[in-house]
Amino acid sequence: MDDYAIGVLTNVGLFSFVALSAYVLLLAGEMSFGQQAFFGVGAYAGGILTAMYGVPLPLAALAAMALGALAALLVGLPTLRLKGLYFAMATLAAAEMARILFELLHFQRELEGETVGPDGTQGFRGIRWIFENGIEPGGFLGLVWGLLFGIVVIFLLVERSRLGMTLRSVGDDPELAASLGVDVDRFKLGVAGAAGALAALGGVLFAHHNTYIEPRNFDIMLGVHSLAYALIGGLGTALGPLLGVALDIGVLEGSRIFGGTRMIVFGGLVAVLLVFRPRGLLDEKVVHWLRTRFS
Amino acid sequence: MFLDLAQNTLDGLARGSAYALLALGFTLVFGVLRRVNLSYGPAIMLGCYLATWASMAIHANLILLLAVSVAGTVLAGAYVERLCFAPHRKGSAIAAMVASFALWMQLEELAVLALPRHLYAFPALYEGSPLQFLGLTLRVESGVMIVVAAGVCVALRRTLYHSKFGLAVRAAVENPVAASLAGISLPGVFVRVFAVASALGGLAGFLISATHEQVTPMLGMWSTLKGLLAMMLGGLGSLPGAVIGGLALGLVEAHSQWFFGPQLRDLIAYLLLFLLLAMRPRWMTTQSAS
Repeated sequence: MDDYAIGVLTNVGLFSFVALSAYVLLLAGEMSFGQQAFFGVGAYAGGILTAMYGVPLPLAALAAMALGALAALLVGLPTLRLKGLYFAMATLAAAEMARILFELLHFQRELEGETVGPDGTQGFRGIRWIFENGIEPGGFLGLVWGLLFGIVVIFLLVERSRLGMTLRSVGDDPELAASLGVDVDRFKLGVAGAAGALAALGGVLFAHHNTYIEPRNFDIMLGVHSLAYALIGGLGTALGPLLGVALDIGVLEGSRIFGGTRMIVFGGLVAVLLVFRPRGLLDEKVVHWLRTRFS
Repeated sequence: MFLDLAQNTLDGLARGSAYALLALGFTLVFGVLRRVNLSYGPAIMLGCYLATWASMAIHANLILLLAVSVAGTVLAGAYVERLCFAPHRKGSAIAAMVASFALWMQLEELAVLALPRHLYAFPALYEGSPLQFLGLTLRVESGVMIVVAAGVCVALRRTLYHSKFGLAVRAAVENPVAASLAGISLPGVFVRVFAVASALGGLAGFLISATHEQVTPMLGMWSTLKGLLAMMLGGLGSLPGAVIGGLALGLVEAHSQWFFGPQLRDLIAYLLLFLLLAMRPRWMTTQSAS
């Protein structure tokens, strides 16, 4: 594989984390415009820990995930009882606040004659842990997809379990779920926390892949894109969001056929696709059909 | 100090009138179709880009530019309606919204391909000096914005309550089944509401561009975000609410910008929305939003 292909595949993997994070909330019946905030929290927290304090990446990733989950709980606690557009706008407001706080974040220190750390709108350079530790681009690609594979396996196992049934029932009909003894509020809070941690893990990897992050990386565009990825790919299986990302970043951007008109092609494709498949390519029916066919 | 406060309030009202116009368009569509049109801002942007192009290519005068902005926005709006809202009328609101986001990407890219620079000059609405009274300054453009916003409110109210079209719209909102049994074509009402909202957007976009005397590729996202924010602050789904929400957003922004600067201004506006949503006062939750 050449470097370009490795870069594209790595990006597909990285954005799959935040798409999965939007997907799991969609299953629970909530449409979030704000998962990019936790991606950003993960990126900044992970970057600060490895580049400024020399913490090894695995530890930094765990800490960033905990912080992402915490941030998601803080946002979710006052908002998860809101419905539809109210929840979407509350998460959007929270995420935009996070982005502005990143813009206001000036937190630097001298390290071997160099200033490192977030410098407001100037961004945060020099997150070089993977280079300093001799990890090649191919190795990093393996790391990203290895983690993603593990997460998808967990998703697939969960979806066939009682927990997965609960998740979908909470999304389909919260009153019915509540009457069957599910504590809907607490359940959704748990889902939001997990989604936050997932997005944060993606953020840590994103920061270390790019070595440079800036507040603009985590604007509303990323949030709505991840929602769109989940919906195009399909709401029937955790592979759906991955398919969505792969279609946009992998096929359209990666193939470089469309150049400057990529967004026009992608936008039209998505709108037409949703007319025929409003729950995405891999929706529940297709997944059920595949499952009965191959098992 | 008192004079500063009064001046900020005046600036806020002007700013808020623009937001109110944007929020009215959003609210019309949401109130009638129960759908969020994320492409609203980008359609406005396309209209204004078309007008910018007309001003550069044929030096069109302001009246013609207004017509081009409105026509361009309505055309883009019609495209969005056909592809994102007509097919999902009975289906999923999320699918319609994501589809409108997809077309956002398209419209924005189209506008940027046509005029690729980061900034284009837009002809000024008024070249003279601002009005001065009681020690306050009011730009004539801002005065026009306030007057137009007020006029649009009156006209919308008259249309909704004193015309056959308005009756059909209200019937379609109140009880769609009874309305269609009474011979009202729901798709027809939706299309016309969408057209009215788009025309309003074109008007708002023209006034905003002619006030700022420039267009940038940020116009699309800016219009969508400000319109949504104002609509939500006003409680979602009522036209007076949209106006109050727009004015409130303008006032909060003008005052917080003066006290704390532009970055904190945006932070405060979002914080206000977040807190209001989290506390859910009764006027914010009377409309169901699913």
